Amino acid sequence: MKAKNKKSITGTLAAATCTLLGSSALEPVQAQEDPGWDFNTSLLYYGEDNDRVQDLSLKALTRRTFVDDRFLTVGLTLDSLTGASPNGALPQSVPQTFTRPSGRKTYSTAAGQLPLDDTFHDSRVAVTANWQQPLGRLYQFNVGASASKEFDYLHLGLNAKISRDFNQRNTTLSAGFAVAQDELDPIGGTPTGLTLMLDAADDDDDDDDDEGRRKGPRETKDILDIVFGVTQVVSRNLLVQVSYSYSDTSGYQTDPYKIISVVDGTTGDAVPVIPAPSNGPSHLYYFEHRPDSRAKHSLYTQGKYYMDGKVLDVSYRYMTDDWEIDSHTVDLRFRWPFGGSSYLEPHLRLYSQTAADFYRLSLINGDPLPEYASADHRLGDFDALTVGLKYGWKTSGGNDMSVRLELYTQSGDISSSQLIGNQLGRDNYPDLNAIIFQFGYQFGK
Amino acid sequence: MKNRDLQRGIIVDQQEGYWRGQFSAMASPCEVLCEIDDPGEAERLTRIVATEAWRVEDKFSRYLRGNIVNRINEANGAPIEVDAETAQLIDFSTTLYDLSNGRFDITSGVLRRLWTFDGSSNIPSRPAVRGVMQYVGWKRATWQAPILQLKRGMEIDFGGIGKEYAVDRAANLLRDASALACLVNFGGDLVAVRKPCARDDWKVGIEATVPSRIAGKKILNLQVGGLATSGDARRFLISNDIRYGHILDALTGWPVPDAPRSITVAADTCTQAGILSTLAMLEGAQAEQFLNAQAVRYWCDRGNDS
Repeated sequence: MKAKNKKSITGTLAAATCTLLGSSALEPVQAQEDPGWDFNTSLLYYGEDNDRVQDLSLKALTRRTFVDDRFLTVGLTLDSLTGASPNGALPQSVPQTFTRPSGRKTYSTAAGQLPLDDTFHDSRVAVTANWQQPLGRLYQFNVGASASKEFDYLHLGLNAKISRDFNQRNTTLSAGFAVAQDELDPIGGTPTGLTLMLDAADDDDDDDDDEGRRKGPRETKDILDIVFGVTQVVSRNLLVQVSYSYSDTSGYQTDPYKIISVVDGTTGDAVPVIPAPSNGPSHLYYFEHRPDSRAKHSLYTQGKYYMDGKVLDVSYRYMTDDWEIDSHTVDLRFRWPFGGSSYLEPHLRLYSQTAADFYRLSLINGDPLPEYASADHRLGDFDALTVGLKYGWKTSGGNDMSVRLELYTQSGDISSSQLIGNQLGRDNYPDLNAIIFQFGYQFGK
Repeated sequence: MKNRDLQRGIIVDQQEGYWRGQFSAMASPCEVLCEIDDPGEAERLTRIVATEAWRVEDKFSRYLRGNIVNRINEANGAPIEVDAETAQLIDFSTTLYDLSNGRFDITSGVLRRLWTFDGSSNIPSRPAVRGVMQYVGWKRATWQAPILQLKRGMEIDFGGIGKEYAVDRAANLLRDASALACLVNFGGDLVAVRKPCARDDWKVGIEATVPSRIAGKKILNLQVGGLATSGDARRFLISNDIRYGHILDALTGWPVPDAPRSITVAADTCTQAGILSTLAMLEGAQAEQFLNAQAVRYWCDRGNDS
C-alpha cells in the first residue's frame, strides 16, 4: 500500500499528456524560487527574581535563498545582561565581605542573604553564518561558522553536517561535527584554582607577591562535538528523530568569578578572617577549581505527531558526563491551530540533574584540599520546570508574529549528609524563579 | 449566453518591458504576457489565447446547456457518441483514474451538491454522502471510444483538468503563431512559452512555506514550462476544529484529511503540473512523499502546521 502511494507516475503521465495535447517534445521546465531574503527576528526578555540576572536579547536571522535550494543563513544576536549572580559562598548569620573580581574593591552581603556578586553586567555580540546546499539528489551539505564576544570572552567555532535520504526519503541519516575555541580573559586576571581570595589591592599597597600568585594569564578551552542522527517517517502522522552526540571539552573550564566558603568542621559556619581586614574578605574563601577535561554523551529522541493540523512534539534528552552529571530533559509542546491563521502552543519542560562529583557546598577548615571543588549551583543537584504558552498569528501581510510567555522555576536539592552544623537551618540553595517573554516576527522580502 | 458574450472582451496594457492582454474565462482572470513592444501583436496573440480558452470553456463547461458534457450528463443512462477531442479527454481521465487508484474521478462532480467550501461549518451528513456516492465511480461507466454510457444519475465534470488543458492548448497555438516569449496565465495555472530574452524569467507569486521553513509569499522565477496550483487558502470548511480542504476523495466522498493547503508544482506542461498537484493533494499527509517520488520541483503550503 505504502509503496503504491509513492511510486513514480511521471512517465505514464508524460505519455498520456503528450497524447492529449499532441505537442511534440517541449523544453523541460525551468522554475526556481526567487532568490530572496527571509528574516526571522525576536526580542527576548529573561528575568530572574530577587534582582538576579536579567537578559534582554535581540536576535535577527536572515536567510538568502539561491537557485537549486541553496541557502545562506546569517544570524546576529545582541545580549545585554545585568543583575547579580551567586558567587558560590554560603549565606551566613553575619554579614560577609568579598573582594571584587577586579581585585580593587569589596562588596558585602547582609546576614542571612545568599551572597550575590552584583558587578555582573555584560554585553554579548554573537554572529553565525551557515551555508546549506544539496549534493546530488539525496545528500544535503551544511557548513557554518560562529563567533561571539563578551568583554571577557571570545568564542570562535566551525561546524559541518552531511545528511542523506534513504528509503524513498522516509529515512534520513546525518552526521556532523563542530569545533570551537573559547578564550577567557577574566577581569582582574585568572585566579589560580583553590587559592584564597585576597584583600582588595590598595593603590598604595604594593603586594607584589599576591598579584603574582593569584592572577594568571588568559585561558582557553577547545570543544569538539560529534553528532549522529536518524530521522524516520514512521507513518503519515508520525515523525521520529533519534540522535547521539559526543562532546569533548579540554582546557580551562573553571568559573574564575566563583568561590567556595571555608567552614568550621563542627559548626558549619564560615571561618572569619581575624583580625577582620579593613579592605578584604571577611571570611576564608577559595576560588573554585574544575577539571580541565570533560566528556559528555547525550542521547536525544523526538517524536512529532500530526493530527488534523495539530502537532504534538515530544522530546527527551539524556546526558551523562565524566563529571558525574547526569541529566534528563523532557520537553512537550502542543501546537493547536485555530481560526485559520492563528495557533496556541502550550509548552512544558522538565529538567533534572545530578551533581558533579566535585560539587560541594563548602570546604572544611583544616581538611586537605581536594583536587577540584566548586559550589556553583549549576553543577549541583537540581530540578527545573518551565511552563509556557505561545500565541502565533499571521498578519494581513502574510507574515508571522508570535508572543511567548514562560515561567521557569529551579529548586536545588542538597543531601543532608553534605550539611554541617548550622548549615542545616539555612537555605543554602534558594529556589530560582525566572520569567521569559519573547516577541517574534518573521517576514520575507 | 448574452452576458457571457459581454464579458468576453480583451484589454491590453503596457507593463514594464512587456505588453499584457487580459480577459476572463473559466471563472478566472486570465492574462497573456508578451515580450514585445507592439500592442497590436500583443492583442492578436491574446485573442488567439482567449478564443481557445472560451472555446474549451463553451465545449466542456458543465454549466452550459447543449454542449457535449451537458448532453452526457442528461443522457439518463443512454449511450452518447462523443467527438475526438472529448474522447481524448476521457481517455486521459481514465489514465488518471487508474494512476490514482480511483481517487481522481471525473464522475465525482455530483458530490459538489453536498459540499460547499465557503469557510463555513456546513458539513454534510454521512448518510447524505453515502447517498450521492452511488452516482460516483468511473468503473460504473461504460467507455468504448467513441461511445460513453453512464448509469442514470451519474455525471461527468472536466473541472479537475479543464483549465490546465486550456492553458496548454493555448500555449501550443501561441508557439505556432509567434516566435515570441509569452506567459499564459489562467488564474494561477500557467505556462511560459519559450525562455524570455529581455528578462531572466517571469516572476510568479505563490503561497508557500516548504521547503522554505520561513513562511510567507514566495516568488518563483519561471523561465519556461508549466506551473499549476491545487488547493486554495480560501476554499475550506471548518467543523469541530477540523479544517476540510476542498479536494474530495472520490473513493470516500469526503475531503482528504491532512492535505496541504496548497501545492504548486512545476512541470513541462501545465496539465502535468496540475495533475501532480491534485494527485499529491489526494495523498493527504503523504503529499510531500508522493511529490518527492515524482522528482518534480514543488512548493507546499501547510499553513501553520509545519
